Amino acid sequence: MTSELNQQEAMELLRTMLLIRRFEEGLIQTQKSGISIGHFHVYIGQECTGAAAIALLEPQDKIATTHRNHGHLLARGADPRRLYAEILGKAAGYNKGKGGTLHATVAGLGFLSTSALVGGAVPLAVGAGFAAKQLGERCVSVGFFGDGVLEEGVFFESLNMASLWKLPVVFMCENNSAGALGQSAGEYPGSTIATKQLIDVVAPFGVPASAVDGGDPRAVRDVTQQALARARNGGGPTFIEARTVRWPGSRPLWPELSTGETDVAFAWEPDRIPMAHRDWFANDGLIRYVRQLFDAKLANTKEILALDATVRADLAKAMRFAIEAPYPDPASALDDVFA
Amino acid sequence: MAELTYIEAINSALREELARDRGVYVIGEDVALGGPFGATKGLAAEFGERRVVNTPISEGAIMGLATGAAAMGLRPVIEVMFVDFITLAMDQLVNHAAKLHYMSGGQLGIPLTVRVQQGAAGNGGAQHSQSLEAWFIHVPGLKVVMPSNPADAKGLLTAAIRDDSPVICIEHRALYWTRGEVPDGEHTIPIGRAALRRPGKDVTLVATSRMVEVALEVAGTLANEGIEVEVIDPRSLLPLDLDTITASLRKTGRLVIAHEAVEGAGFGAELLAQVQEAAFDYLDAPIARVGAPFAPVPASPVLEQAFVPGAERLAGAVRKVVLGA
Amino acid sequence: MLRLLRTMWTIRAFEEKVSELFGRREVHGLLHLSIGQEAVAAGACAALRTTDRVVSGHRPHGHAIAKGVDIASLFAELAGRETGCCRGKGGSMHLAAPTTGFVTATGIVGGNVALALGVAFACKEREKQEVAAVFFGDGAGQSGAFHESLNIAALWKLPLLFICENNGYAEFTPLSAHTPISQLARHAETYGIPSATVDGNDVLAVRTAISDAAARARAGGGPSFIECMTYRLRGHYEGDPAKYRELSELSDWKTKDPIRRFAATLVKKGTCTHEQMRAVEAEARASVEAAAQKASTGAWPSVDEVTTLVYAG
Repeated sequence: MTSELNQQEAMELLRTMLLIRRFEEGLIQTQKSGISIGHFHVYIGQECTGAAAIALLEPQDKIATTHRNHGHLLARGADPRRLYAEILGKAAGYNKGKGGTLHATVAGLGFLSTSALVGGAVPLAVGAGFAAKQLGERCVSVGFFGDGVLEEGVFFESLNMASLWKLPVVFMCENNSAGALGQSAGEYPGSTIATKQLIDVVAPFGVPASAVDGGDPRAVRDVTQQALARARNGGGPTFIEARTVRWPGSRPLWPELSTGETDVAFAWEPDRIPMAHRDWFANDGLIRYVRQLFDAKLANTKEILALDATVRADLAKAMRFAIEAPYPDPASALDDVFA
Repeated sequence: MAELTYIEAINSALREELARDRGVYVIGEDVALGGPFGATKGLAAEFGERRVVNTPISEGAIMGLATGAAAMGLRPVIEVMFVDFITLAMDQLVNHAAKLHYMSGGQLGIPLTVRVQQGAAGNGGAQHSQSLEAWFIHVPGLKVVMPSNPADAKGLLTAAIRDDSPVICIEHRALYWTRGEVPDGEHTIPIGRAALRRPGKDVTLVATSRMVEVALEVAGTLANEGIEVEVIDPRSLLPLDLDTITASLRKTGRLVIAHEAVEGAGFGAELLAQVQEAAFDYLDAPIARVGAPFAPVPASPVLEQAFVPGAERLAGAVRKVVLGA
Repeated sequence: MLRLLRTMWTIRAFEEKVSELFGRREVHGLLHLSIGQEAVAAGACAALRTTDRVVSGHRPHGHAIAKGVDIASLFAELAGRETGCCRGKGGSMHLAAPTTGFVTATGIVGGNVALALGVAFACKEREKQEVAAVFFGDGAGQSGAFHESLNIAALWKLPLLFICENNGYAEFTPLSAHTPISQLARHAETYGIPSATVDGNDVLAVRTAISDAAARARAGGGPSFIECMTYRLRGHYEGDPAKYRELSELSDWKTKDPIRRFAATLVKKGTCTHEQMRAVEAEARASVEAAAQKASTGAWPSVDEVTTLVYAG
């Protein structure tokens, strides 16, 4: 990782990961304070995958994402103020309050759609790849989706067409059920699939596939780079499984800061990690990455803490902006039904 | 009588039917874990995971599985987590479950129950808040019920499970934690029988699902203005108890129809057509419909509130029908 | 052995007759004939018990006949008569005769696979050692329902035989234009489902493969996938000129006609004589003629039947 990224890039990646973590922690706290948000899904523990992969995309590339989209949008450069505003249902939101957390999307950043249907984003990503190929554009379409999607038929229909027509698509499967902490306690399900490992389902289609540690930016970066190069060179689609361990606070409907706020100092003072959550933080891509930067002397504790403080201050302002922003005119509910 | 929440009433119907009939199976995503709203809580522990079956996220295959098993004589009850996701299972529901009895010349029965919840509540946005009952009442072979309170939730679900045709039981998410008296023990409500919720002589207000609550509120308000509203809850949209509605119209001569689904091509349109065919002579005023505006469900709390038909709009429509413009 | 030959000849004669009657507008609808694929239906059903269940697709005549459905009731169904197995309400693509174990056919590509999942689930729950078999074409292999069903059948070890009749064409398009995969059995391997790819024009090979699979299912070993490589000698539907195929391809497959091949093998082995062979064909054709005749005198359903049997009970 550090051999490929210069210090500035390495710190920028950290900034993105922190931005996503703090954004969602802030959201959970805002909901706790009594502001209505509705049910939402968090990306905590998976930041590394989205941040590392999306950093490699070119401006013309397209992304389709899911109900767990905040991290992808922020990594692509979405303005946290407008994203918070969207989630809070405000007129200043990216979708004028009509999308909310489940459908937040930013077309200007290459987001086709955010589908809250399991599997819904996948054919859309393939469609974007089809369009790019037809139009002869040097554009890659990346579909982010969870491991549950491999249980939906539409995934196979989409994969088959992408492979058959060699479409420039990256299937980015974010498997956040790895090791499934909490699954045994019946808190949330893992994927229900008869294969030995998820990437087996792709094999018959002749699509190159690899499974990587989704909490290791170097690994994510390597496979994504290869996939993007293959797609741009006419080599067709690639399937990547990025494995992460689900964050214990990520309950199906109502996330809770059950681990407390992440303290970046966990990276260099592991004793500060609460006993109950040591396993999870030991796997946490963010804390691992901070430690790598620290060990490689790319950043000292002071710089990391300062960056974190800046991110938090910016997000606090963004949240204030969103809370104070006006709601849309109720009459606007009927706008935009047709193009 | 016990006071139960709507979701507890559903749970109790499932528990009793699982105990009563070995052929009953509860199948769906996360049902062995209790489901996201707790409808199937405790059932796996009581009846085992052989009869309370967790599935992959494969709505199409789940509907097909349940239909095939029903064709063999089992009585599967499947849970589709949100009505928005039933789109993924429409082939099996519409082309197979609804038609196999007919296409086989009556040889195959499909005693299938589909439990699904819908409604705009909690800012879920356009893919978690729709009301799609009108799709299903357009399909011959399906039965469609929409319980509006805990007692009906239990009674209609029990009847659905015992029915030999596929029945879609459409629950409303916002009603899940409302409480009400539920008869103890076995409780069934015949499918196709409406309920008179409040008698009145001036206008008939037919409301479905959560709109029944709103209709009763409106009836209370308008009583203070001297307008006596008769509130009818059809409970079952297909088959529809038109007789109860026309009998009421004979008395009131006026009809307002309220549902949460978008107005266009909705249940209201169908009821309006049936009423004008069957009871035109009873009508003293044009029929009014109150439903959601023709738009996807927006996420923002403010927009969602503007979208869902509320008491004020409904009261306005009733006044207009009774008092004229 | 002669029973297998008789079944195949009955299917062939039935469908040739259907084609003739269709030309005379005495049978109706969208008809998909399985001429050239008879060995799959005959071989597979010969390996099944009467109590085993079959679900078929839009090309179901052969499966229904092989499973023992009365051919007069099939003719009557295609002719829209009240005496049809579905009282004239089903038609060619929706044949059903559950008392014979032929649960139903369905016109939705891939839809039958998910339906069969439930039939297999019920077979397992009934604990009577029954198995379910589903026939589908290579076109279904690209449908989501197919993949969802493979996963669930494997997860739950359902007694389900996935019988893929790979005839090389999904409607008018060769399989190679639909998927990069030439043998769909490869998908079964993904889920750890035992699979076999056999010559679908070799009735004995089919029977052996299905027999093994059925035994495994009865013993609690779960699903199997049997891919039968075959070819339809007619168009996708009756009236399809099938101009998308090379004539040489067609004539090549005609030499592999499953019925003539099996008959020749039997004669060569000395199992029976030419005369006996011809007698089997003649008997099959005669029974088909008689059944068609019987069906043609069946009553039309009353028009009131349009709205009956919409609901059970």
